Amino acid sequence: MSQFRTFIIALVASFGLPWLCLIVVPAIKYQSLSQVAYDKDRDGLEGLYPPAPINRQGQLIYAREGCVQCHTQMIRPTQLALDGWRKGWGQDQEARPTVPTRSNTLRDYLGEPFAFLGVQRNGPDLTNYGWRAPDRNLIHQMLYAPKSLHDWSNMPSFAHLYTERLAQGQTSIKALKLSKKFAVKEGYEVIPTEEAEALVDYLLSLKKDYPVPGESAAVAAAPAAAAK
Amino acid sequence: MQTSTASPDTQADNLRRAAIDKSVKGPVLFLFLNGAFWLMASTILGVLAAIKQFAPDFLGACSVLQYGRLQPTHINALVYGWGVQVGLGVMLWIMARRSGQELRTGKSVLYVAAVFWNIAVTLGLVAILVGKSTSMQWLEMPAFVWPVLLVSFLAFAWPMVFMFGRAFRPEGFMVSTWYILGACFWFPWIFITANVALHCLPGLGALGAGINAWYVHTVILLFFAPVAIGAAYYFIPKVTGQPIASSQLSQIGFWLLAILGGWTGMQHYMGGPLPAWMPALGAAAGVLLLIPVGVVGLNHHLTTLGKHNLVASSPTLRFVFFGALFYPVSGAILALISNFSTGATLQFTQAWYGFQIVAVYGFFSMTVFGAIYYIVPRLTGCEWLSVRLIRNHFWFSVYGIGTIVVTSLVAGAQQGGDLNSPEMWDQDFMQLALNLRPYIIARAIAWALITWSNVWFLIHLMLMVAGLGRRSSAPTLLEHDHEEVLPQAAHA
Repeated sequence: MSQFRTFIIALVASFGLPWLCLIVVPAIKYQSLSQVAYDKDRDGLEGLYPPAPINRQGQLIYAREGCVQCHTQMIRPTQLALDGWRKGWGQDQEARPTVPTRSNTLRDYLGEPFAFLGVQRNGPDLTNYGWRAPDRNLIHQMLYAPKSLHDWSNMPSFAHLYTERLAQGQTSIKALKLSKKFAVKEGYEVIPTEEAEALVDYLLSLKKDYPVPGESAAVAAAPAAAAK
Repeated sequence: MQTSTASPDTQADNLRRAAIDKSVKGPVLFLFLNGAFWLMASTILGVLAAIKQFAPDFLGACSVLQYGRLQPTHINALVYGWGVQVGLGVMLWIMARRSGQELRTGKSVLYVAAVFWNIAVTLGLVAILVGKSTSMQWLEMPAFVWPVLLVSFLAFAWPMVFMFGRAFRPEGFMVSTWYILGACFWFPWIFITANVALHCLPGLGALGAGINAWYVHTVILLFFAPVAIGAAYYFIPKVTGQPIASSQLSQIGFWLLAILGGWTGMQHYMGGPLPAWMPALGAAAGVLLLIPVGVVGLNHHLTTLGKHNLVASSPTLRFVFFGALFYPVSGAILALISNFSTGATLQFTQAWYGFQIVAVYGFFSMTVFGAIYYIVPRLTGCEWLSVRLIRNHFWFSVYGIGTIVVTSLVAGAQQGGDLNSPEMWDQDFMQLALNLRPYIIARAIAWALITWSNVWFLIHLMLMVAGLGRRSSAPTLLEHDHEEVLPQAAHA
């Protein structure tokens, strides 16, 4: 029996150490992580970092549809990959930004129950999608009929987040403007459900490249709301 | 069995073995049969998911069958429906046999646990399909599922720990039971940690993603790997009739895996928001794991040395041999996706899928198939019906898995190259989507081949469990022209 005990103790010790160091201690320390204030003199900004929380209702839709299988939410630093230089992946929408989009920190995901960093990158990264997003209607069109925007798209259609209804009188301003090939029957219109609206709200709230307080700002002193 | 020439000692041994087999028969067969069913379901889902990835309009825009829901269902069916379930069956049988202990009490508890396991998995998978997925890798099933799975698992682990404790150990060190006891002990620990952290704590943000990646890696390295290695350490000496080549190597292999396994995982999000030391440690452990993996591979190789003709004739050894061969392959792929140079290229690509499949299917499942081909005839009292079916199963699986792993890795390199190509910095994803397409089509075909083999495996297994196997004292061998008979032990 003593051999048995030694064996168990050795198992507990060998696995317990990484368990404590990687999971338990970081999880406890994470609880005290909170927003930090910008210093007006140092950062040229006011307010708190990270400033805006994501839209949780929409994030639940994002999770349940399994968007993470193809979309990541994580910009890697330039020594590992060219993510930061890709056009439109940060706040700077210029074709040739002067500085790369910064990689992400633990605080960028503050307030999210679980950060959907992603499984594969079969579609573009969405970390900072909120900056490059087109207008709401176009996002809805993308979700409803991806192939109406790009005929090569391998994104599935999320038509089940939309309802098709008889157009009464004037077509609703919410109705999707679909091209002929993807249009529904004459006299009908496609209206986003609340879930689709929440998902779009979430996508628009994805802006994770605000300057980190105390570090040189990636996008020089751009006020948070001015860009869009 | 050559009972006519056997000494009274051997006869007593045989009776003891038969009594042990009888005591675990019901639960083990129940797990195998349900596991084989889930395996078939998972491979069919694998075909569908692969098709949906390159042709999203296939089968219409039905919400249940979108790639984002099918893919996690496919993986979860493979992991919980098949992997952990048959893993438990193999563990229970080997532990009982190796410790020389019958299952004394609590058989009905095992049945109840197995039934609840399957109900929980069914509900969990249906929940993913109808839109309750949590989108945490390998933990996509909604939160109500995990306590049921945990209790069911513990119901099986408990008697195994007792068997180990009561075992009569003339030889002192029994490597296969060490691995299996380790798996009994690691899995609940990992499972509770990940689920409590991700479902019960108020929210860990990006740290949660890191814990999630840690969960996937540790389940592979500290549950699937130990069960398969334990089975390989049990069946290779058993069928070849040679002792394990080196007891020292097997101890080194075990303890290095135990020490390093828990550190891996966070490197999955290298360059991400986690504090830099976490992925760095994971990457270091992922590469260092090449040592225990190589040591175990060498030990298995040395144990089969000179007995390679048995690989051709014994179905058990053939599957276990190839499963054991896939262990170093999985280790090498883990090292490739873990280190910061190739890993950064292969991150977020198909290579990650390739690693999961080579570890869970190529390595774990192939070994477990071998174990099933050995265990089931001893429990049902009849022999496998058809050599052709076993051979089909083997070749379709080997080629299917080989195709999936190779195409996933090459696709990963291609995809990673495209993502990082300086020429494509301002391009949309058209080129990437088009370049990926042939590989995904190849994967769909490979899963279809595997599905074909699994349908027959399931039917074959069902016939065996129904007691419709061959009534014969000679085991079903794949080649009969070799006159060299298997050693006595292999028949026991």
